[in-house]
Amino acid sequence: MTGQLNTSGSPHIPARFSVTKVMGWVLIALIPAIFALLFYFGIGLIVQITLATLAGYLFEWWSLTWRHQPLKPFLTDLTVPVTAVLFALCLSPIAPWYVAVVGMFFAIVVAKHLYGGLGNNIFNPAMVAFATILVAFPQSMSLWLPPTGLTQFGELQTIDWKHTLSIIFVGIQNSDLAVDAVTAATPLTALKTGLQQGFSQSEIVQGMVFGDFGGLGWEWIANWLFLGGLVLLYKRIITWHVPAAVLMTTVAISTPFYLFNADIYMSPQQHIFSGGIMLAAFFIATDPTSGCSSHRGKLIFGAGVAILTVLIRNFGAYPDGVAFAVLLMNLSAPLIDRLTIPKPYGKKGHP
Amino acid sequence: MAELKDRLSTFHGGLVLKHHKELSAGSEVTEVDRPRSLTISLRVNRGHVSEPVVAVGDRVNKYQIIAQPIHPFGVVVHAPYSGTIRAIEERPTAAPDAESAPCIILDTDDRDDATDYMPPLTEFNRQTLINRMREAGILGMGGAGFPTHAKYDHHTQDMETLLIINGAECEPYITCDERLMLDQPEALIKGTDLLMQAATASRAVIAIEDNLGGVKSLLDKTIKQLGLETIDVVKVPTIYPTGGEKQLIKVLTGLEVPSGQTPLSLGIIMQNVATTKAVYDAVEHNRPLTQRLVTVTGDQVGRPGNYLTAIGTPFYHLLALADCPMSEIDKLVVGGPMMGYPMPSADIAVDKTTNCLLLLTADSSKPDLTTLPCIRCGDCVKACPQDLLPQQLFWYIQGDDLEKARDHHVFDCIECGACSWVCPSHIDLVSYYRYAKSELTYQDYKKAKAQLAKQRHENREQRLEDIKAERQAKRRAKTDKLKNKSQAKQEISAVLDRLKNKPKDDGESS
Repeated sequence: MTGQLNTSGSPHIPARFSVTKVMGWVLIALIPAIFALLFYFGIGLIVQITLATLAGYLFEWWSLTWRHQPLKPFLTDLTVPVTAVLFALCLSPIAPWYVAVVGMFFAIVVAKHLYGGLGNNIFNPAMVAFATILVAFPQSMSLWLPPTGLTQFGELQTIDWKHTLSIIFVGIQNSDLAVDAVTAATPLTALKTGLQQGFSQSEIVQGMVFGDFGGLGWEWIANWLFLGGLVLLYKRIITWHVPAAVLMTTVAISTPFYLFNADIYMSPQQHIFSGGIMLAAFFIATDPTSGCSSHRGKLIFGAGVAILTVLIRNFGAYPDGVAFAVLLMNLSAPLIDRLTIPKPYGKKGHP
Repeated sequence: MAELKDRLSTFHGGLVLKHHKELSAGSEVTEVDRPRSLTISLRVNRGHVSEPVVAVGDRVNKYQIIAQPIHPFGVVVHAPYSGTIRAIEERPTAAPDAESAPCIILDTDDRDDATDYMPPLTEFNRQTLINRMREAGILGMGGAGFPTHAKYDHHTQDMETLLIINGAECEPYITCDERLMLDQPEALIKGTDLLMQAATASRAVIAIEDNLGGVKSLLDKTIKQLGLETIDVVKVPTIYPTGGEKQLIKVLTGLEVPSGQTPLSLGIIMQNVATTKAVYDAVEHNRPLTQRLVTVTGDQVGRPGNYLTAIGTPFYHLLALADCPMSEIDKLVVGGPMMGYPMPSADIAVDKTTNCLLLLTADSSKPDLTTLPCIRCGDCVKACPQDLLPQQLFWYIQGDDLEKARDHHVFDCIECGACSWVCPSHIDLVSYYRYAKSELTYQDYKKAKAQLAKQRHENREQRLEDIKAERQAKRRAKTDKLKNKSQAKQEISAVLDRLKNKPKDDGESS
């Protein structure tokens, strides 16, 4: 007979899952899209991911220290790399190094730890970071690279890893490259500026940066993100509610605009396949901490993200509105949650 | 009214668990030898305490009544063996948290004098059967421990009743009900028939999980042999917690027990298979409930299996028989791994609801996991069979906003542990809900008491006020009278007149 039996509470069988595993699967699900981005836009993304992750861990360690929190469980839960990768995916591959660092400061210190750390953040940290730098460094966010496949036309040239590093760490002005020769607008920016200059949509999508059904390269990145999303659904890390609501509402809202005037409003397929809506549908709006908890709440939340995104894209000043749409819906999540408490067993049909 | 549906329904959430039943299901039932002393609890689970009717030093016979209930929801307690009462004292019991309760400690002997405390039934009707359940001290042996006769007492006879025999042992590891169905199909079916008479039910259904091979065909064959075709055997999906009362009713009938009510409100009575067998024993063999099947299983158990154990047998006696070295055991759980209660020591004894002793080493019991903050992942929402929002409940309870937890239906939680198990942050959610429920109940009780006291106080104040007002009114009337001089003069003269006109003989006579 041992001296003391363990009397910790039930259940008495090992847990199924852990936060680390959840976050690990999110990272795994992002791998196909990361490779697609690398293929189309070069090595810069790896640098951005590394920068963001290192900066993220630094800020996490610093925040945990001043908040007197235990270091080990929180530094090993893989939430920092998830935030960092999601944020880096939104960055231009050749954005200057300080963009990633400042963004991660806002993600980890402001959005996460000032609100109480893991599980207590009201806003999605990656989107807070992205929105901040979108406002703070608009110039560097508009400088994207042309996707592979465009450079064969001769007007543009690809840049190798040495040039990538020098642009990120020294600056494009100080390098020996001509800015116009190595950068190109993102499809959504091209569309926005084209429309502002008085071109019609059908003319604009004939342009270089557009592919078969979305932005060139972007359409395939969206497909790989979709695949990653299916992995998360299969592993039951997310439910179908948010992605379905985001994608279906995007189509449902953008179609009437497009039918009303196809010259100035984007087609539903452009909405889905260029820009951030696919990333948002499976990886951003599904963030449980800043989203809704009931199934009905998730549907409303996803639909809200889609409606706001389409409205910002069609009428707003920014080419893409996903980040702002998500942040606005984050604000509404507590209210939606309160209004969508499900009826439990035995109370259905009763007030 | 409640009817069996051709197609089974489903309930929200639930889990598919590794069932580990093969460990103990295969072997034959072992009859446990007589322990030298028994510790018989006078309270089962969260029920009411029975009053001992024997004194220390008394010699009792087998089946003799040793305690009587003082509350309608208490049960009669019998001596499983003949012997001498050594002590009547508070001891930790196999109830949740090993709560202490009065226990009778009985030193057994081998004289085995049995007395017929229950004569054979001469008449079989609803009332005699219910009385027999009461006399035999039968209660829900599936875990709830609710006195069985009380279920039948309460039901109104004009209602069409459906009897459900619960053979869906949804917790992993436990196999005592499965073993009972395999070994004693006839007793079970006959017991079901008796319960149908007690409930005046025209239909009964025995629900078993679909991973039990051979049980359904065996029961079907027995039903045919006995000619009791009003009893059906239905296989239900093996999803934890199908064996929960509310979930099983939903699966079988598609109905939901209204919140805060019992299945009786739907005209349903549910009984565990072990209870059914106990009723059969009480009626056919005139045996009170003094023994039950206990599954002993888990890691390091040399002879896992089912043991026919006398109520009051200490765990260590059973564990020695099952060849279980306690040195390597980290946890001793009464019940299954999802809802069972860890016991602080092996000196505690089996009671009428102890269905399983689960022994776990440190590796396979919950390892020492760090609890992280809730990330609101919603896994608990997906798993909850009651369709609650466990993470919101947790949020409010953690913030001590218990009224919000009530609004989020914390009282509908059945404490099945599904949420705790799936939680990636390893939060012991069920403990929070238990805390909230008991705290809210206590607060309500205090509030009701304060309300009553306030009411009493106000009533008293009102009474004093009334008395005072009455007195004042009288006094005022008197002074008013005196103030009015003309009226006073008139009255005085009237009195004087009366005295003057008095007949003279008045004075003589006095």
